[in-house]
Amino acid sequence: MEDNEKVMTESTVRAPKSTTPSTIKAPEDISAIGATIKVTIDGKEIRVPMGTTILNAARMLGINIPTLCHHNDLCISGVCRICVVEVEGMRTLQASCAYPISQPIVVHTHTRKVRQARRHVVDLLLARHYGECYSCVRNNNCELQQLAHEYGVDFYRFGHVDKPTYGRDNSSYAIVRDMDKCILCRRCVRTCIDLQEVGVYEAFERGNQTRIGTFMDNPMAELICINCGQCINRCPTGALHANDPSDAIWAAIDDPTKHVVIQTAPAPRSAIGECFGLPAGTPLTFEMNTAMRYCGFDKVFDTNFSADLTIIEEGTELILRLYKALVKKEPVSLPLFTSCSPGWVKYIEHFYPEMLSHLSSAKSPQQMFGAVIKTYYAELNNIDPADIVTVALMPCTAKKFECNRPEMNSSGFKDIDYGLTTRELAGMFQEAGIDLPNMPKSDFDEPFGTRTGSGVIFGATGGVMESAIRTVYELITGDRIDNLFERARIMPVRGFEGIRYAELPIAKVGPVPDLLKHLIPNWDWLRGATLKVAVAHGTANAKKVLDNIKSGGKLSECHFIEFMACPGGCLGGGGMPIPTNEEIRAARAQAIYAEDEASEVRKSYENPAVVRLYNEFLVDGPCGHKSHKLLHTYYTPRGKKLV
Amino acid sequence: MQVLDRVKINQEISDLKKIYGEDRSALLPILQDLQEKYGYLPNLVMQETAHALGIHPVEVESVASFYSFFHRKEKQGKYVLRLCQTISCDLSGKAKVARQLENELGIKFGETTKDGMFTLEYTNCLGMCDQGPALLINDRLFARVTPEKVPQIIADCRRDFIKSAFPKVVPSDVRKSGPILSHDLKPGEGLKAALKNTRSGVISLIRESGLKGRGGAGFPTAVKWQLAGAAQSDKKFVVCNADEGEPGTFKDRYLLFQHTEMIFDGMTIAAYAIGAMKGFVYLRGEYLYLKQYLQEVLEKRRQNNLLGENILGKEGFNFDIEIRMGSGAYVCGEETALIESLEGYRGEPRNRPPFPVDTGFQNHPTIVNNVETFLDAALICVKGAKWFNEHGTEKSSGTKLFSVSGDCEQPGIYELPFGITIEQLLKEVKGENAKAVQIGGASGRCVARKDFNRTIAFEDISSGGSIIVFGPQVDMLEVAINFMEFFVEESCGQCTPCREGNVKLLEGLKLLEEGRCSASYLNELMRLAETIQLASKCGLGQSSPNAFVSIIENFKSEILGRVPEKA
Repeated sequence: MEDNEKVMTESTVRAPKSTTPSTIKAPEDISAIGATIKVTIDGKEIRVPMGTTILNAARMLGINIPTLCHHNDLCISGVCRICVVEVEGMRTLQASCAYPISQPIVVHTHTRKVRQARRHVVDLLLARHYGECYSCVRNNNCELQQLAHEYGVDFYRFGHVDKPTYGRDNSSYAIVRDMDKCILCRRCVRTCIDLQEVGVYEAFERGNQTRIGTFMDNPMAELICINCGQCINRCPTGALHANDPSDAIWAAIDDPTKHVVIQTAPAPRSAIGECFGLPAGTPLTFEMNTAMRYCGFDKVFDTNFSADLTIIEEGTELILRLYKALVKKEPVSLPLFTSCSPGWVKYIEHFYPEMLSHLSSAKSPQQMFGAVIKTYYAELNNIDPADIVTVALMPCTAKKFECNRPEMNSSGFKDIDYGLTTRELAGMFQEAGIDLPNMPKSDFDEPFGTRTGSGVIFGATGGVMESAIRTVYELITGDRIDNLFERARIMPVRGFEGIRYAELPIAKVGPVPDLLKHLIPNWDWLRGATLKVAVAHGTANAKKVLDNIKSGGKLSECHFIEFMACPGGCLGGGGMPIPTNEEIRAARAQAIYAEDEASEVRKSYENPAVVRLYNEFLVDGPCGHKSHKLLHTYYTPRGKKLV
Repeated sequence: MQVLDRVKINQEISDLKKIYGEDRSALLPILQDLQEKYGYLPNLVMQETAHALGIHPVEVESVASFYSFFHRKEKQGKYVLRLCQTISCDLSGKAKVARQLENELGIKFGETTKDGMFTLEYTNCLGMCDQGPALLINDRLFARVTPEKVPQIIADCRRDFIKSAFPKVVPSDVRKSGPILSHDLKPGEGLKAALKNTRSGVISLIRESGLKGRGGAGFPTAVKWQLAGAAQSDKKFVVCNADEGEPGTFKDRYLLFQHTEMIFDGMTIAAYAIGAMKGFVYLRGEYLYLKQYLQEVLEKRRQNNLLGENILGKEGFNFDIEIRMGSGAYVCGEETALIESLEGYRGEPRNRPPFPVDTGFQNHPTIVNNVETFLDAALICVKGAKWFNEHGTEKSSGTKLFSVSGDCEQPGIYELPFGITIEQLLKEVKGENAKAVQIGGASGRCVARKDFNRTIAFEDISSGGSIIVFGPQVDMLEVAINFMEFFVEESCGQCTPCREGNVKLLEGLKLLEEGRCSASYLNELMRLAETIQLASKCGLGQSSPNAFVSIIENFKSEILGRVPEKA
């Protein structure tokens, strides 16, 4: 496991050395002599481990130092200079975010020089920042606006631009770039290169010409971008935002000939409260249902249904691949990769097209649901699918691209018409005057309304794997997973470690369930086997896993690997409320796992709506002919060359 | 439109990787060679280079866009004419030469002639300040260009004469020698003396001499070497900072040509003292014409076992030196920016701490010293600490090389002891008329007559050697504008105060020029200048408003209340 552990613990940061954190490491035993250092900030003393930044020491003391380029998810930058402080004995001010404490120091955070410098930094940034707050998508949620407020900016000391320089780039389905609002904090650069290993943005030119550019200055639609939107989540201003379809959705709602249905993914419900001032991790699932109906959506469905459906299809695909490999000795690609995350799918299409055969052909839950709505649901309710408008509430900006993939129309109609993010739905609620936290609760609509925990945990990294294990294990062994893991909590695949690995011994096998009888004669060939799985989130981690597999490392022995493009999985998605950081993501995860535990169904194959679908509609079973047509897809090897 | 062959480009890149290395630090030299071949960096070249080095194409384009010598959009002319726009050349008639170049070629600056023969560009300091206006054509330097010489120069280009007709290196006049410049040591003599000593003995000797960094910051050389020597690492590096970009300095260009062996001796001694196996000379792109010569000297030293393995028979002492070219970025003279550039990144200064002596090139302990510092160190090893520190002051020992340009009768290179007053210096250079002297280049300070009794020394007015004399006729506002234009262009652009603040200072100077700046706004700009000095990320950013501040302070009455000529 050694090389595997190395893969799992290595930092993903491949940033310029100037932005990697200090090499002064905090010692492991902080009680050791000399391991901590006394630092005095504004007269308050604290002992901190060697290498702690002044910023972090101040935060421990409850002293507020403003930041702008600094982001807890990203490596150190130290470029905006808003966080400067005065360190006694030093001639110049120091950026507190970038200064590692290695000897006792005395710091002052609001001297004349500090206040003047911060005010000047804000004034200088405003002088180049085009646009007015009231026409900005980030109004009231903008870090620059907040700083201008905190520092009492009441006029443009160094002027203000009155004409745009760059104009807006609306070319992408997912991400809008408005570089006239950019303040060059470079969070997007660090996000895209370090967290995601995609490399859309970098700083171009120098001096006063410096700007954030893209390769060949191509517009977003013509770049190697996976649409994950992580850059949006970390942009302090309105320079990056999602392509908002809410006007078109309102128009569909207002059109009496249209039957507008919305499905809601698991992650948004754990976070939408943040847009209404509630702490992260306040679940508003059922308030949201009422609010969506109030807006005028005809039906409100739960994506958890199609998440369970995905588990059946993808789980069956896994079993079939294993069967082919182990029994029939046919060449198949293993490990199997999940395909729920459209950012991840586009990542592998661009960067590892030679490994696309590993990717499950199962569509994502969003697309499966669309296909089911425009066929099964349309038939059931006798509605012309041409009159159905499918909206998907997603934590994700990449879903906007996914629903516009030309191949995603197996019913003859676009599976999903609009991908809507959590932030955008909150905007629609606000526009409709809805006070979401105080809405009455209501359930999802039938026939897909079962509360399922195996679906809801798709919202967290490891959730797809956990659901798959719960179902696959029980289908194979006939035993309850609860006997192996208390309350079916499969802890080894949970958490936020970038890459996680787990093994699941299959000690005994049971009878083949009816659902799979037409595919597999018996389970004998799995008796005594060990199922090896891994989970990765953030595409920089995905890259490490893929490289490990390609080089024949330990992860190449896995059978099944879950990949999520976004750090934290969907709950850290690019369409989720801003800001994001580790604590916020953890709080959202907690809400998601709590909903799982409160659910009546916690294993996908037990979801009655799914069972009914196979009995009534997809009668040739999982991975059968009809399901292949509606619920599976194919991929495009895109490569990473633009010229 | 040139049709590019992907297979051929990939072959070229893979050949270049064999020369320059597999990792990202090979990026700049690879791009330099490919640009030489293709005349610019086509998108395909940048993309394939990125993939060959395992980075993203946008990162390569980002790096290429940072350095002014790289061109991404269009092919450059066969001859690229770069006219120096920095202060000394500006004072000596750059504007007229520029006009005549445009007239002769029928293009504006930034353009290429239709026949693809000529590209006309401005550049910042070429290090020919004593012989301006200076013009660099590919790797040939033309000094003292006058408008009437322009047609002939262009004709020589057209006939491909320039390679044969002009010398490769234009020397500068040494007006005054001292103990450093008049040494008579033979190649390797400094190194031999050092190797007789222990590693710590060498550092002790340097400490005793009181040698401080000659680049201008004045950090004690022995402390730097001591820290790097004590750092634990399997690799250590010695870097010679030959990125002499400060307007008004040209002494390193002279030293690199005339005292090459002793500089390499100094680097090798430093390697011995700290335990390094690899050294780099980071030579500014404007001095490309020196590269071949330096490489020949290095080759000769390898043959004489002054480089290589078991140097001069010292078992286990292995060291070699590689020349790396800059590509037109002043900020790379800042040591951490220089290291970033060596690593294949944009030349953006790092956060400090950690310092290069601990976390330098590729995170290994690295010392970066000025050309002159290495020369001094080599001489000290032979002649002793006392020989060195009997000159200068207690805190600024030794003699210092000064590059003198501007309004004086005898511009050139001077070796003078630290502690000399400005008045004495002006007498030496025959510039007693001066109304002000710029000491330390654009990042230095402008000293007015009333302060001519001040001394040049680390404890008073520090300088890396640039002295620009301003005669009574010079418009100090124009000088300030020239300096601020320089910083607006040469700021690396990462931190807010330097990137945005200098623009505001420059705009303020333009307001003054138009006679439209209130005293209260000028005061606001002076406070902004203080912010830039205090809050910028690197030393260069911190010193960028120095010229602005000192000129405003000294010449307020000359500057305020202007009535524009065209009013």
